[in-house]
Amino acid sequence: MSKAIIALHQVHKYYLKGVHALQDVNLSIEEGQWTAMMGPSGSGKTTLLNLLDGLDRPSLGRIEILGIDTSRFSADNWTVFRRENIGLVFQQFYLIPYLTALENVMLAQYYHSMADKRQAQKSLEEIGLGARMHHFPSELSGGEQQRVCIARALINEPKIILADEPTGNLDEDNEKIVMDIFHKLDAERKTVLMVTHNPNLGRLADRRIYLEHGRVKHEHWV
Amino acid sequence: MFWRILFDSVVRRKKRKTLAVLAVWLGISLIVGLGVLCLDTGDKMNLELRSFGANIKVRSISSSIPVTVAGYELDSFKDANVLSENDFPKLKEIFWRNNITGIVPRLWVEGTMKGTIDGKKIPVLGLWLSRKIPVGQGEECATGASHVYKHWKLEGRWPKEDEAACLAGSELAENYKIEIGDRLEISASKNSMLFTVSGIISSGGREDSAVLASLRLVQGLAGLEGKVSEADISALTTPENQLAEKYRVEPKSLTPAEYERWYCTPYPENIAREIQETIPNSTARVIRRISETQGTVLTRIQGLVFFLGLITFVSCSLSLIGILASIVSDRRSEIALFQAIGAGRAHIGALFFTEIAFLGILGGILGGLTGSWIGRQLIQAIFSSEASPHFALILLSPLLGLMVAWLGSLWPVRRALNQDTARALHES
Repeated sequence: MSKAIIALHQVHKYYLKGVHALQDVNLSIEEGQWTAMMGPSGSGKTTLLNLLDGLDRPSLGRIEILGIDTSRFSADNWTVFRRENIGLVFQQFYLIPYLTALENVMLAQYYHSMADKRQAQKSLEEIGLGARMHHFPSELSGGEQQRVCIARALINEPKIILADEPTGNLDEDNEKIVMDIFHKLDAERKTVLMVTHNPNLGRLADRRIYLEHGRVKHEHWV
Repeated sequence: MFWRILFDSVVRRKKRKTLAVLAVWLGISLIVGLGVLCLDTGDKMNLELRSFGANIKVRSISSSIPVTVAGYELDSFKDANVLSENDFPKLKEIFWRNNITGIVPRLWVEGTMKGTIDGKKIPVLGLWLSRKIPVGQGEECATGASHVYKHWKLEGRWPKEDEAACLAGSELAENYKIEIGDRLEISASKNSMLFTVSGIISSGGREDSAVLASLRLVQGLAGLEGKVSEADISALTTPENQLAEKYRVEPKSLTPAEYERWYCTPYPENIAREIQETIPNSTARVIRRISETQGTVLTRIQGLVFFLGLITFVSCSLSLIGILASIVSDRRSEIALFQAIGAGRAHIGALFFTEIAFLGILGGILGGLTGSWIGRQLIQAIFSSEASPHFALILLSPLLGLMVAWLGSLWPVRRALNQDTARALHES
């Protein structure tokens, strides 16, 4: 049995005005597992993802990632931990508009250690953007922007990839391209935790976790 | 990559950046303008206050000691004429020669005026009216009463040096109905002479009850050739400060560095001391009234200007807070993304502070140039003279701009660095 790379212990998340976004979540995700987090809007999927990437903090409970208790991490600790270990894929891509596709990928390298143009070029070529690497985000289609976002998330070879609705803003063709990329990541035994509404994408994952009203309702293992 | 992001940050959102530069520009212009005014006020005020007369009085040692016998103070000027007129030009050769702008040796004698009731004695004052002292390299320095006593009220004109003319003090003229153009026969211990009244003078002092004439003529009347009883010296001085006070209280308490600074500063006491050493048998005293007024006025003006400069500095920083807060706020999502992909607070802080430093330095350079111009205009308007060039202030202005900009950016940047990253990303 693979070891748990992410472990949540009695995690709660409250927001102002009495919103209880996550309630007593206990979860363990194993290394090399592709997990899809599913559920209706407002079920707490994105909140959970934000707790795992350190952009938000749990109100109660403990989160261990790579065997490290993150509950006492400062913002600076989280920044270092995130850039060393976690790759983020966003629904809205969040590319820097005044940097080219290549520069957007190199930016993640720069914050991690140092920019390596050749490596960044290679990563874009691998996802079929070799001819578009010098284009600005505004000159790319949604699918191409998402692929740049994925390339940026993968460039530093993170141990965990967290993806928030990676196909949420894509048409069918681009959705298929992105799904293929995630398939490839799964084949490489990368640990992927993905929030999605898309049942087609969810079905591809090794494990599906259904959230409802901030609780784990049920799980499905492949 | 840092410079790539920085370049794009600087060239985008031009309107707000222009506003930020404009705010720094205006602020630094005022600060530099006030700085020029502050630095020049000392010298200009000195020159202005020189028009209120002398600030150092030189007397013979014997006359400076009051002698009282049986309750009566002995008239000092009877035996006080021991200073030599020839010693006074030497004052333009001493260490502080450039600070000494006016010298008026004076000789008081008792005389009588023909036609006065009972032959009552009147004071007669001989003084340098308008002299030129050689100061080396063929140059001369104009001095004398007409240069130093500009604050005296004169009806008529100053007599010329060798002219048999005199000025009548206002009280004397009133008492004896003397008018300009009258001829007065003045007698002293040795000779008598006929003078034409060229003007009526009002000084507010002893001179108002005297007849004033050329020193040489008065010396001839009294048979005191080459002698004077006192002198008024006008000198450019630095108002006394804590260092001067420290020396006065306990000279030995000064460190060697402080002593050197004190020695090379034209404090009134310093100049008076050297005058005293140059003129034999003399004692030189600072006329406190002018010296202290000058110091007080200068200190107050400089304090006011410093206060205004400080207020400008703070208000400029406050106005920048608003502009920079909106610039930073516009980029919340970008900052959140930087943080999400691994940028540390130090990196983001460095990015913003460098960008803001560029805006501040640009505003500072522009402010230094216009502030210098404003300062010159202020000096021209207030003192009707040219301001000295203050290159140090112009060179310092980019640094001032940088400080203003950084001060104004502290709060917005700190707020951006501590923002809720997840929320900022979500809202974008």
